[in-house]
Amino acid sequence: MKVYEESGCFDPHSIPDCQELMGLPGPTPTNCHNSLEDTLNVSSYNHHHHEDASAALDMEPHQHYLLDNTTNSHSHLIPYLTQDLPYDQSHWESFNVLPSSSSPEADAAATAAAGAYTTTPDLLSLFHLPRCSFLPNPSISFETTPGSPSVVYDPLFHLNLPPQPPVFRELLQSLPHGYTVPADDKDAAGVGGLYHDGDNGIIQFTRDISMAGRAKDRDKAGKTTKHFATERERRVHLNDKYQALRTMVPSPTKNDRASIVDDAIKYIKELLGTVRELQILVDKKRCGQERSKRLKTEDAASAADAGDVECKPLGDPDQCYNTSLRSSWLQRKSKDSEVDVRIVDDEVTIKLVQRKKINCLLFVSRLLDELQLDLQHVAGGNIGDYYSFLFNTKIYEGSSVYACAIANKLINVVDRQYAAAPPTNSTSL
Amino acid sequence: MGRRKLEDDDDNNNSKEFKSKNLQAERRRRQKLSDRLLTLRSLVPIITNMNKATIIDDAITYIQELQKTSQVLSEQLLEMEGSSEESVMPMKLEIDVAQHDMKKCGIKEEVKVSNIDGNKFLIKIIVEKKRGCFTQLIEAMNYLGFELSETNVTTFSGAMLFSSCVHGKYGDTLMVEHIEELLSEMMRSMKTSSQSAIELGNTN
Repeated sequence: MKVYEESGCFDPHSIPDCQELMGLPGPTPTNCHNSLEDTLNVSSYNHHHHEDASAALDMEPHQHYLLDNTTNSHSHLIPYLTQDLPYDQSHWESFNVLPSSSSPEADAAATAAAGAYTTTPDLLSLFHLPRCSFLPNPSISFETTPGSPSVVYDPLFHLNLPPQPPVFRELLQSLPHGYTVPADDKDAAGVGGLYHDGDNGIIQFTRDISMAGRAKDRDKAGKTTKHFATERERRVHLNDKYQALRTMVPSPTKNDRASIVDDAIKYIKELLGTVRELQILVDKKRCGQERSKRLKTEDAASAADAGDVECKPLGDPDQCYNTSLRSSWLQRKSKDSEVDVRIVDDEVTIKLVQRKKINCLLFVSRLLDELQLDLQHVAGGNIGDYYSFLFNTKIYEGSSVYACAIANKLINVVDRQYAAAPPTNSTSL
Repeated sequence: MGRRKLEDDDDNNNSKEFKSKNLQAERRRRQKLSDRLLTLRSLVPIITNMNKATIIDDAITYIQELQKTSQVLSEQLLEMEGSSEESVMPMKLEIDVAQHDMKKCGIKEEVKVSNIDGNKFLIKIIVEKKRGCFTQLIEAMNYLGFELSETNVTTFSGAMLFSSCVHGKYGDTLMVEHIEELLSEMMRSMKTSSQSAIELGNTN
């Protein structure tokens, strides 16, 4: 239940209310806070964030996130909400639904008052429920001024498709307002037809989950011609979302929904791996710097202590010696080439397959030099229509490259060569 | 999901035989999609509402967050890299070590070219391993107008063995001795240039 209470929709119009709520952390917002905070132990998080949204603070949520990787999914709610998310405006604006009037304060407000999303000046806000479609002014949140910075976490987008899980309906039914559940009230709350009939469609959906097929007759009877329009719009919106998801993935393949989702899954896993890898690198780097700093100060301080320099009290060094083996793997595909990069500790294995057009060894080896990778072994050549190479390399001491960077650079180099080279080599061999 | 109802109705009304195959395929397709959506949902930690549209939204948000996180971390890494002084030292050490190893094992530098067939040659080069020597070799090959059809490079105790089957791109037939001479020339120049680089204390 707590999930639904926390995950509300942010109404930019009630920013003043938000700030009010923030300023006085009264009983209502913190109630919800505490429940989550207890599970998270990030008590001072929300209070801090709006004061200092610098990157330094961002490290903590990452650590939290990384440490809590396997825990309850809800435990990530606050750390993520307290980050400053630059929303990719270009995608969302095309949907015309972006309530784009937030400011940093609003962002902070939205995130800090995680439980107080519902900041419309009505009793509903007390319940910390997400704003429902049948509230008096949902349309306002869409037609807000364009051009202003985007919302941090855009749950408002969900308003466009006002699906209410069954839980919501029960909650709403308990309201003293007379806000009615959409399924029962066909002419709900004078809202535009967008939500009205869309609700029917969605309720149909949720009914599908719970009571498979029983609602069929009832819904058929209730369909009006409006339904088709809203249903179509809903589909269009859904398709747009799929397309947006597709654009975020680096190498999208087919254009159908299943593969889009599949690519997204792979990409999320890859991003998780990259973040973890970067974290390890940063830690190693920091630890190395600290060690060298310590050594320098010690050399300066006491030359006689040569023997004791290495054995330190159990303060910092224990943190530094992370014994985690770094390993990552990712693939990148482009139209004509495919790159596979695997890193284990300090060994990088790169597999490159490209359509026979240019001999790319030169460029690849230049890139490897640039990336400070020491070639141990190379094998490959022309196989039928393709050039295929396998590079075994070692990372030079002190360099911190990560898989994603290698793969991206490599595929860029190869593709660039592709574009640059005229197709004259097709006659050879 | 209204679509599901519509399609079922259609299928029931129309001829069952032809449509049923499609129905099965369609059901499987939808099942596949919903399975994948479930997987996506399981990956994303922030879940608002539990339906198809919002899971896509949440996924998009999550991906953006992750991208931002990785960007922040990589910038941090770059900063740290800029301020650290460790990287200068190891390179000099490597080079000295390499020379030492090779002489110890008795591996000699060598260039050997043999003609396979017309314009095809098998080139074998043993050279002292240094940073960027592979690049220089490939550049040399390019310069000579060779296209490498099969390449193999191994490194062992400070030496690098480069063996490749090449053929001349430009059609002019070169003699084996010529090639050997040219390559040895190039290797010598590589060596001297890299030695001077070491003396000057520059990196490649």
